[in-house]
Amino acid sequence: MDETPSTFSRGLLTSVPIALGYFPIAFAFGVAATKAGFSGAEAFVLSLVIYAGASQFLALALMTSGAPLLVAAFTLVAMNLRHVLYGPALMKAAGEGASRHLAWGWAWGLTDEVFGAALGEMARGRRFSERYMFGLGLGAYAAWVSGTVVGAVAGGGALQGWPAVEAGLGFMLPALFLALLLSILTRAAVPVIAVAGLVTVCGTLAVSPTAGILGGMVAGALAGVVRT
Amino acid sequence: MRVEVLALALIVGLANYVFRYGPIGARLGAGQAGGAGWIARFLAATGPAAIATLVVASVLPLAGADRGPLVAGVAGVLALWVWRRSVVLATLGGAAAYGLVFAVSA
Repeated sequence: MDETPSTFSRGLLTSVPIALGYFPIAFAFGVAATKAGFSGAEAFVLSLVIYAGASQFLALALMTSGAPLLVAAFTLVAMNLRHVLYGPALMKAAGEGASRHLAWGWAWGLTDEVFGAALGEMARGRRFSERYMFGLGLGAYAAWVSGTVVGAVAGGGALQGWPAVEAGLGFMLPALFLALLLSILTRAAVPVIAVAGLVTVCGTLAVSPTAGILGGMVAGALAGVVRT
Repeated sequence: MRVEVLALALIVGLANYVFRYGPIGARLGAGQAGGAGWIARFLAATGPAAIATLVVASVLPLAGADRGPLVAGVAGVLALWVWRRSVVLATLGGAAAYGLVFAVSA
């Protein structure tokens, strides 16, 4: 096991595949926002302040359909409830003495992908460090915000002449999640993964993708509790 | 800048921040390392459960009519992971395999 604490630059390096996945999605968000009648500044503020992909796209749909502000806000907040689990799970993996003095800063960037990447880093033997979290979070956040701005400025059609590139970029996040799953795969985790996957499929097909994700996470974590 | 857009961004952004930082600030998860309690097991299982959930949720929409690119993308990730044990390489290679097969089958 490598006992060297992970550095800021290593965090930035780890964020590269996340950034490559975030940029085209954020670009698409910028395009969609301007097409839906939002100004470039409004698209920028939504990405800068909300910083949660799927819920931002839903925000466009809700606001253009005339949903009341509080209803829209409640819906979007509920979508991101799963993030409550990430901090404690990360600190549990980081161990007893892990510093959290600067968590008020780096926790802002604790998205699905950043959480997964940090967990994978520790699963591969690296020690947790807040500098690493800042590097990892900054790379991903910069890609998200800059992608939105470029998308809002460019407008639609920028990748229409390159469908294969667009398709490949669209697979970047599924590929990243799969690679992260492989990086933390252990025999003990197999029942957890199986239950989480099954419940996600059932919840998505029966109710909604959001219900599937939240149900899958909770069911998988509970499977980890009941295993002997 | 419309006021309702700014208000929505602030409400949701604040909630996201509370979700992400609140449990860490409250020291949830602290003192659980190596513990045998159900909370320790729950937290230890949350990571694999979350990532497995996100794999399934992100792949499901791609499992439509033409599965060739998806199969190639997944195979690319698996092969490169087995070969190099690198998350970065497996991710980039999987995405490239997906795009290549998409181009060929289009």
